[in-house]
Amino acid sequence: MPIRLLIVDDSELVRKGLRNILRAKPDWEVCGEASDGLDAIAMFKSLSPDVTIMDFQMPGVNGLDAAAKILQIDPMAKIVLFTQHASPALEKHALDVGIRIVVSKTDTSKMVGQIAALLVPKSPEP
Amino acid sequence: MMNEHEKVSILLVDDQPGKLLSYEVILKELGENLLMARSAREALDHLLKTDVAVVLMDVSMPEIDGFELADMIRQHPRFQRTAIIFISAVHLTDIDQLKAYQRGAVDYISVPIVPELLRAKVSIFADLHRKTRQMEQLNAELRKLSARLIATQDEERRRIARDLHDSVGQVIVALSMNNGIALTEVSNVNSVAADALRENEQLIQQLSTDIRTISHLLHPPLLDEIGLLPAIKMFADGFAERSKVNVSVELSPDIGRLSPHMEISAFRIVQECLTNVYRHSESKTAFINLSVDEGKVLVVEVRDEGRGMSPGSIVPKTRDNTGSGVGVSGMRERVRELGGTLAIESNGSGTSVIARFPISAAAVIRV
Repeated sequence: MPIRLLIVDDSELVRKGLRNILRAKPDWEVCGEASDGLDAIAMFKSLSPDVTIMDFQMPGVNGLDAAAKILQIDPMAKIVLFTQHASPALEKHALDVGIRIVVSKTDTSKMVGQIAALLVPKSPEP
Repeated sequence: MMNEHEKVSILLVDDQPGKLLSYEVILKELGENLLMARSAREALDHLLKTDVAVVLMDVSMPEIDGFELADMIRQHPRFQRTAIIFISAVHLTDIDQLKAYQRGAVDYISVPIVPELLRAKVSIFADLHRKTRQMEQLNAELRKLSARLIATQDEERRRIARDLHDSVGQVIVALSMNNGIALTEVSNVNSVAADALRENEQLIQQLSTDIRTISHLLHPPLLDEIGLLPAIKMFADGFAERSKVNVSVELSPDIGRLSPHMEISAFRIVQECLTNVYRHSESKTAFINLSVDEGKVLVVEVRDEGRGMSPGSIVPKTRDNTGSGVGVSGMRERVRELGGTLAIESNGSGTSVIARFPISAAAVIRV
């Protein structure tokens, strides 16, 4: 069963780049794309993706607020925050919202690995 | 706006209509607005209703005590500096004159009145008043203009930072992603191409860093989306790294979202203060403290342990214009515009800048 990803970014260029990068994993499939926070929430509800890659700075509802809303709908949702402004301050705030992974947009080589780590199910206690 | 030829009001006080008439006759040719009062009560009425440039009254009127009236006028906060000219029939001894000045009398003229002299004295105070009003109006306009300038500057920077993010920034991201993909095939190309690809990676990172730096200096990321606290924390972290100054930050968690105007102003003040710490203080440490006083006042404090500012050389403007504004006067303007206060204390062991902004109940939103 392929891993289904929802990608959210207001830039078509970036979404295209993301699709290309994600092709590296044949068992991953981009199941939907959104270009703003409100669409992201709606698509999450209808598609129930395994992972959401969420851009931070978007017009209207920003990625953090959209992510917070999604986590209210599904507290177990796996969300990766994606941003040009990665910083410890943002990471801390994202953590407060419930997002454990913040990826810098110019460091996407790490992203595939970080998402893969997110997907590893926690091993049950012996 | 009071121009050079606008009339001012001169208040003539005397309980005898004949005297009033004679003053009127003498002063008519000045072309100002003459107001007449025959009692203390009428005089005060006029003062409350009209902006009076100078009051002319006799010291010894049968039914009004001139000195007492002057006292009453002076006690009112609005009229503490209104010019009063006493007319004195009695030859005033030095002590009486002193008494007149203690009551805030500005000048006096003795009887018999020389018309030219009276006109001269009155017109000096009339002109003074006109100039004072003009200056007050000009100041108010200047302040409005400078507030607008600051707001325009802030808005423009925000827009440019946003444009950088949305256009240039996203292209760099796409570039980086594509190059990342190309690099996965680096072993399949000749060495010259491989070197070019690797160098591209360096160049892209450099480009990305440079754009990010420019953008951050223009407008604080995180401020609009999340708020003042993370924006300041991020700025302080970056500043500490760039300047090697040790920055300690204390941000009270009960500061929620504030009005965008207040948030950017508070941020700019911190930015300006830290810039000064780096450029002028030689201090190795800086302290930033944000707190809320009784839920009603946002207190922004930046301290250092450097060599202090000498009063005359407070923040000379820099040539390269990388400062966030126009230094201390810019900070004062921002604070004043929001109805706040700015206190700067500086000596050889350091400088402390404290800005206090009143927060309206509507502006504080608990996150």
